[in-house]
Amino acid sequence: MNHRSENETITLTINGTEKTLTVRRAATLLDALRDAGYTSVKYGCGTGDCGICTVLLDGEPIRSCMLPAIQAAGHTVTTQEGLSAPGSGQLHPIQRAFIESGGFQCGYCTPAHILVTKALLDRNPNPTEEEIREAMSGVLCRCTGYVKIVQAVKRAAAYLRGEPAEPFRPVMARLSPDESPAPIVEHYYNQIKEQEIAHPPLVISPPDMEPLAIVGQPKLKVDAVKLATGRPAFTDDIKLEGMLYGALLTSPHAHANIKRIDASKARALPGVHAVLTYEDIPRVKYASGGQSYPQPLPYDQVSLDNKVRHEGDRVAVVAAETPEIAQRALRLIEVEYEVLPHVLDPEAAMQDGAPVIHDEPDTEGIYDPQHNIVHHIEAEGGDREAEWARADYVFEGEYRTAQQQHAHMEPHVCITYWDEDDRLVVRTSTQVPFHVRRIIAPLIGLPVKRIRVIKPRIGGGFGNKQEVLLEDLCAHLTIATGRPVRMMYDRRQEFTSSRSRHPQIMRYKVGVTKDMEVVATELYLIGDTGAYGTHGLTVQMVGGQKGLTLYNAPYSKFVCDVVYTNKPTPGAFRGYGSMQCHFGIETLMSEIADQMGWDVVEFKRKNWIRQGEELLMAKALGEGREGFKQIIRSNGLAQCVDTGLAAMDWYRKRGNETWRKGAGKSKRRGIGMAVMLHGSGIAGLDMASATLKMNDDGSFNLLIGATDLGTGSDTILAQMAAEVLGVPLEDIIVYSSDTDFTPFDKGAYASSTTYISGGAVRKAALQIADQIKAHAATMLGLETTEGMTLRDRQVVSADGTTLTFEQIALSSLHQYDQHQIIATASHLSYECPPPFGAQFVEATVDVETGQVTVERILMVLDCGRIVNPLTASGQVEGALQQVLGFAHCEEMVYDEQGHMLNPRLGPYHIYKANEMPKLEVMFVQTEEPSGPFGAKSISELPMDGIAPALADAIHDATGVWVRQVPFTPERVWRALKDAGF
Amino acid sequence: MTEMTETNEVHGTELTDVPRRWDIPADAFLQSVFEAPECSPWLRKTLSGPISWQVRNEATVRRALTSHRTALPWVAALLALGATVTLEGVEMPAPLADLIQRSVTGRIVTLHVPTAGVRYGAAQVGRTPADDPIVAAYAGVTLNDKPPKTVQSARVALIGVWPRPVGLAQAATKLIGRPLDEECIQTVAQAVAQEVTPVGDFRGSEAYRREMAAVLTRRALEQCLYQE
Repeated sequence: MNHRSENETITLTINGTEKTLTVRRAATLLDALRDAGYTSVKYGCGTGDCGICTVLLDGEPIRSCMLPAIQAAGHTVTTQEGLSAPGSGQLHPIQRAFIESGGFQCGYCTPAHILVTKALLDRNPNPTEEEIREAMSGVLCRCTGYVKIVQAVKRAAAYLRGEPAEPFRPVMARLSPDESPAPIVEHYYNQIKEQEIAHPPLVISPPDMEPLAIVGQPKLKVDAVKLATGRPAFTDDIKLEGMLYGALLTSPHAHANIKRIDASKARALPGVHAVLTYEDIPRVKYASGGQSYPQPLPYDQVSLDNKVRHEGDRVAVVAAETPEIAQRALRLIEVEYEVLPHVLDPEAAMQDGAPVIHDEPDTEGIYDPQHNIVHHIEAEGGDREAEWARADYVFEGEYRTAQQQHAHMEPHVCITYWDEDDRLVVRTSTQVPFHVRRIIAPLIGLPVKRIRVIKPRIGGGFGNKQEVLLEDLCAHLTIATGRPVRMMYDRRQEFTSSRSRHPQIMRYKVGVTKDMEVVATELYLIGDTGAYGTHGLTVQMVGGQKGLTLYNAPYSKFVCDVVYTNKPTPGAFRGYGSMQCHFGIETLMSEIADQMGWDVVEFKRKNWIRQGEELLMAKALGEGREGFKQIIRSNGLAQCVDTGLAAMDWYRKRGNETWRKGAGKSKRRGIGMAVMLHGSGIAGLDMASATLKMNDDGSFNLLIGATDLGTGSDTILAQMAAEVLGVPLEDIIVYSSDTDFTPFDKGAYASSTTYISGGAVRKAALQIADQIKAHAATMLGLETTEGMTLRDRQVVSADGTTLTFEQIALSSLHQYDQHQIIATASHLSYECPPPFGAQFVEATVDVETGQVTVERILMVLDCGRIVNPLTASGQVEGALQQVLGFAHCEEMVYDEQGHMLNPRLGPYHIYKANEMPKLEVMFVQTEEPSGPFGAKSISELPMDGIAPALADAIHDATGVWVRQVPFTPERVWRALKDAGF
Repeated sequence: MTEMTETNEVHGTELTDVPRRWDIPADAFLQSVFEAPECSPWLRKTLSGPISWQVRNEATVRRALTSHRTALPWVAALLALGATVTLEGVEMPAPLADLIQRSVTGRIVTLHVPTAGVRYGAAQVGRTPADDPIVAAYAGVTLNDKPPKTVQSARVALIGVWPRPVGLAQAATKLIGRPLDEECIQTVAQAVAQEVTPVGDFRGSEAYRREMAAVLTRRALEQCLYQE
């Protein structure tokens, strides 16, 4: 085929300049704009479901993935690049408003949101919140819960009207000993009533917590400008000379042997440079989960196999000159499958005679391959007979959770190339660059020293990028062709070929006394790990540990089977087993209170784990390896619950028939609550390091292996360094992460970055502080550094003499005792302090249809000291949107053949801006002695409580317990019918 | 793909006096319909929720009427209202229902929407407030001016209960000539449940959809009953 005939020339006006573009006839406007270098326009789904690719066409927002490029000829297109020119130093007022409001986290969807804001404000300078949410509903966001996006639009509107807007400030309050939080809550609501633009979180401090200069302040994200202006910061925003496009052929079957594969026609297609099948690369066993060395067995994967175990499994890869040619080549690969019986249900998979999914002889470490049981876990603590003998009542309940997909807006994407030293560079959207380097080395036959992994900005991950999914294949293609290769999942592949949340079946048994004491808890857990083991062991272990620790019964027992099925493989996902098990235990606890006629709050309060207690299951159940003894040293749970009760006006509403029926004829209102704990890193395993070095002007480079996947970790780590060094935040220049230039960090997972990476940064900063003081003493002719302090970019000696950091830097680099002021520190903790929280939900149940409408969510958290209330509250709000989907609507569904029925963002459905309930966030600060500046983790805790709180609210509304999530209309309707509604 | 070969100019809409209807050029974009002062709040609502601003900017009226999934609730609402279309080369407008059922074919030139005298009701169930409805019912009823105010015309359009995306329930005609009351509505709702032929999927089984057809038809008609 003549490639020239596929192209067409179009003229259009882009950002005010007339442009002539040569575009492929099949190209969308999205393709054409990105090819022309307008990389702020992002790919999200290619099917019009997400709106991430929105641009303004003649001033109106449209989805550029749905418009053929040739139809844009003659029109005017506005992209994010048109709002502020790179290097101009000028921000558009809308961009400024998004930055100041914390209106984004990963920033991948931000260009689209900003363009929609522009279009909205051009026609309506003072929109209502409802109008803003309606306008924004066409662009999905998975990070923010839309709260701060709405605030950003309000702020932008004010700026464009020429009005000032107050900066974001949390409402700070101090709780006196023995004081009820009710007056604080009342004062808070009175205060925010007057604030039209920001609805800031309430931050309650203990009486003796000293405020700090930088830590604790709502600083703007250090990467905010490049994200708000749509600069080329993400993996796919570069284009290398000679770059080829990789594409992946996936299995159409749930379970099959590849009898024959013939790639000759594909290889013969002009423009194709490589086609690789299992016949072309060595068979090296590995596990794709990005975990510390040694990863838990089994290593049950190979890069390309002669067997497929789920729809979407890898079959072959192609590298070609254009994405279209690569797709054409995939269609030319002839594959003859021997379709095998498959099994989708984990309980069926464990039965005699079930299809054996891993029958290959070279996988070690599967507990019982014939029954598809990859791991069997048993752990217990306490005196079984004695504690069960104390129980006056025994309650049991079975709970089920669904397979949820991460739906981060940036798909998995990777670019590999040889550098000038013949080292392989892997530029990839990953949470675990160091694990990627170590894991792919044997797969591609290169030593670690010949691989460099670069992590640019990440457009969300939530655990799904704690995996090696494309990097090995992309590298194989670069090795085969000698050319740079780019690979990216399309949105369908994100569903069927990446990872998801483990569906679980939980059977809890709880023994209680007449005095409301929980004395024994047992959990039998079936974890469905899909086709491969990857995170199967550790997710279930965390689930067991957290699910049995919240109430820390004197006797606890955990039994678990982790089971293979022929479903796309679950992996790490924010919440990591804990949220599933919280759904089970918290719902059963509420059920017990209901059956016994006990106040649910007081029943939980009597039993939840307290400060000074040992986490009984922590040692018995580590995370992939032996655990360590853990003692609770900070716990604000009681204050969280009391604050939430006051904020929700709980006791006026709970069980109040008048309030319950106030929503309408067939509607019932309900209010529910749940308490929760999580962890902060993996005790005795997670290690992070940080390097700080001083520059001539007294600024500092902070080099960290920690990966900011939109969470704001670069910002809070810089705040910690700035706090120690007494400099403003802008003096800390953060670079993360690159295996050649930053020190090791295990990566962003397990709620570890604030606590573990923060510990490393703080240590490095303290060492730098010592070096600065020592050099200052030399310069000043002092024999001691005693009494010296660092503040305002200078050293102040005991007698008040000062030296600026610039003077010290110039001296140390160029004049006296010349050396680089530099320090690297590592941090590992044998403690894993849990953050605590309470979640409250108000919902309405339509008893005729089963539709549940969530009206209001409040989360009150004890995460130790809050390093940055702006980013912290944003983290919580975003998590609440994700967990709301888990509880309410998100579910990967399959037909009998194992084909996913809803592998698109539309039918799968994640919450949009115009349907979110009211979200509120409050922090109850504590001082965690083992945490940097008293901090504990934040990011995963908010995932744990919404599902049980919503179950509790549905029960409060209807008297019916629904024990399976998500609470879809038919599921709830059937439960109501069964109960006689 | 969006039909951008047509002009991107937003066409004006006009309100004619007799009959009381709103005539919308078929090449108008949905956004212009959404913003038009003639667009009543309840009709505007059918163009929001799951339907984004971007979709409204990309889809013309013609596209929405021929590719129903683009703006399914809006099409259902138009069916309930008794909207008609003028087809190219044909003088007499044809019922939109005939076009949807493909009993007439042709290129749409103008959509005609009744703007007065129709009582309207809508009810739906979805996983979330802005999800595509699993089942939805849209009712349009006109009453005789003089007492007894019996039903002159009645239409109930339903989504999610037919093999095709949207359709009218014949059972609604049982209301004609009778007073609009709760007993009548209940009878029609049950008849609709018997009439529909739903196909179950992961969002709702056949049995669920059938039962929802009755519940939502009843609710939509009740809104008509209590509307002034």
